[in-house]
Amino acid sequence: MLKVENLSTSYKTIDGDVHVLKDLNFEIYENEIFGIAGESGCGKTTLLKVLYDIIDFPLKIDGGRVLLSGKKNGDSFSYESGTIREAWWKNISYVPQAAQSVLNPITRLKSQFLDSIPEEEKKNESKEETLERVAKYLEELSLSRDLLDAFPFQLSGGMRQRVIIALATFMSPNVVLADEPTTALDVVVQRGILMMLMRLQRELQNTLVVVSHDMGVHYQVTKRMGIMYSGSFAELGTTDDIFDDPIHPYTKMLIGALPRVGDKSQKVGIPGRPPSLTDPPPGCRFAPRCPHPGEICGRDVPEFREVRPGRFVACHFSEKVMSDDTKASGS
Amino acid sequence: MKFTQYFGLRILTWALTIWIGVTFIFFVPRMFPSDPVENMIGRIQSRSGQMDPLEMESLRKSLRVQFGLEGSLLEQYVSFLKKGLLQFDFGPSLMSFPTPVGDIIKTYLPYTLGLMLMTTVLAWIIGNFIGLQAGFRKDRLSSKFLEGVAICIYPVPYFIVALVLQIVFAFLLGWFPLQSTIITMGGFGTFIRTLLRASVLPAVSLLLVGTGWWIISMKSLSGTVSEEDFVLYARYRGLSEQKIGQSYVLRNSIITQVTALAMSLGGVFSGSIMTEIIFGYPGVGTLIQKAILQSDYNMILGCITISIVAIATATLIVDLIYPLIDPRIRYS
Repeated sequence: MLKVENLSTSYKTIDGDVHVLKDLNFEIYENEIFGIAGESGCGKTTLLKVLYDIIDFPLKIDGGRVLLSGKKNGDSFSYESGTIREAWWKNISYVPQAAQSVLNPITRLKSQFLDSIPEEEKKNESKEETLERVAKYLEELSLSRDLLDAFPFQLSGGMRQRVIIALATFMSPNVVLADEPTTALDVVVQRGILMMLMRLQRELQNTLVVVSHDMGVHYQVTKRMGIMYSGSFAELGTTDDIFDDPIHPYTKMLIGALPRVGDKSQKVGIPGRPPSLTDPPPGCRFAPRCPHPGEICGRDVPEFREVRPGRFVACHFSEKVMSDDTKASGS
Repeated sequence: MKFTQYFGLRILTWALTIWIGVTFIFFVPRMFPSDPVENMIGRIQSRSGQMDPLEMESLRKSLRVQFGLEGSLLEQYVSFLKKGLLQFDFGPSLMSFPTPVGDIIKTYLPYTLGLMLMTTVLAWIIGNFIGLQAGFRKDRLSSKFLEGVAICIYPVPYFIVALVLQIVFAFLLGWFPLQSTIITMGGFGTFIRTLLRASVLPAVSLLLVGTGWWIISMKSLSGTVSEEDFVLYARYRGLSEQKIGQSYVLRNSIITQVTALAMSLGGVFSGSIMTEIIFGYPGVGTLIQKAILQSDYNMILGCITISIVAIATATLIVDLIYPLIDPRIRYS
């Protein structure tokens, strides 16, 4: 289970601090697929990095923490920001963005698999036995065992992504973080990769966190999701609820912009641009682009609160929106 | 591309390089306005006064044969290629007449090759090792210190380093001879002793300057590779720093350094000239210098041909090693 408490981070730059994540509070449960959506630059990847505890300069945690806890093989474990590194690959693993360049270009895949398996996991067996386990695992995932003798440049983009997913899940980690796992792949390969991720999650009964800007991916894959806007969550809830009944105006416009089969209406984008993170507007960060801003929106930052069980929204007018929606659907 | 094809292509390039180089050094001296035979006769005349015209004619003729200047240009070229390249016969040396040039070069060549190859390769190994530490573990104090030393030594011109060493250790302290002789007769022990006495100072000077360059280049190379996605991801997979340094950073940056080593092996002969002159080391470098000063054309041609063949061969060897260290070459 991943728990984020009052998390705020910033990037240190010469033009001043860029506050990328602001007061985040949420939980990701065991045995679920959680999605993080949002446009480029809203902090998705930063959030994932903080969850994985990759805090390298210029990124800095200004406050709060991430808690990683759970049970593996009967032993319970608990880590928090700063010590999550010790759990890398055993309890938490990471499928990176730009998966095309993350494998060592000049060594065979088998040595990269061997490198990634901690010593204590292979001390009782010979190298061949370990490789045999890896080969069996690849076959379980419908991948050829011959891949182990290949070099990364001999594989297609989709195949490389599959291999990285295999690499990241071989140790059966409790949490798998996937950053844009299907970006730069065509839809057919994309589907294959998503099926693979879902199948693995079903078998391992673990937590899968998928970051993607593609709402289609979230609709197909995730059970719960959070919509990020300008460094914090605008809305969080089950994926079905968010798609059927968006509450936050940003989510509404985002869902409204998605093409659906049979719908011939002209789609419109969201006017305006995301705010600057060095000098964010006071109050609600979405207010300048909001279709119905109130007076309060330019003044107070809306609280991220639970408006319905399991449903969190950061908007001053969530209740009003909800009652308007009921009226509209009732009439 | 198949390996045989790759191999064949490299061999072909090797042969072509040698052929073009040799052709060049054959034609260039023949385009000079001065004629070596007339120079020689002029020198003999100035020493021994008037000569009998008939005698002079026969002298001229035999000199033309010695210099390989007989017959048409094409005939000269063909016989030069045949004799020089295949039989290593460049005619007699004119400064130590009548010993053949080939024999003299054969005695001097091992000293030059031994000194230069040893120091070039050793500097490469030491420099890359230190450079890797400096690039991959930037924060360590020792890395910073060694890099600082390298940056200080590297820009000092080679002859300054060499002269300082020579003045301090040979002239002032007298630990090493000013002019070296390597005694080949009188047993193996004497040979080794004189060889060491002659080569320590030149080797140290070459190492000092050579290592500096390798440290600096390897530092920047491994620094760049350390920022690559695959190194970061290796770190995120929880690999040990040692493992990442060896099989991720070193293996990816050494490829470029192997090419650079081939290039610097190419400079072995030109580099040896200054070293050998300053330290009075008996090798091909001093030989070339003497040959040029005394217009020993055959010797010059011989030395240059040898260096062309040696450089081309060194490059060929590195080219053939390349697929072993970079699978992308092997499989594409």
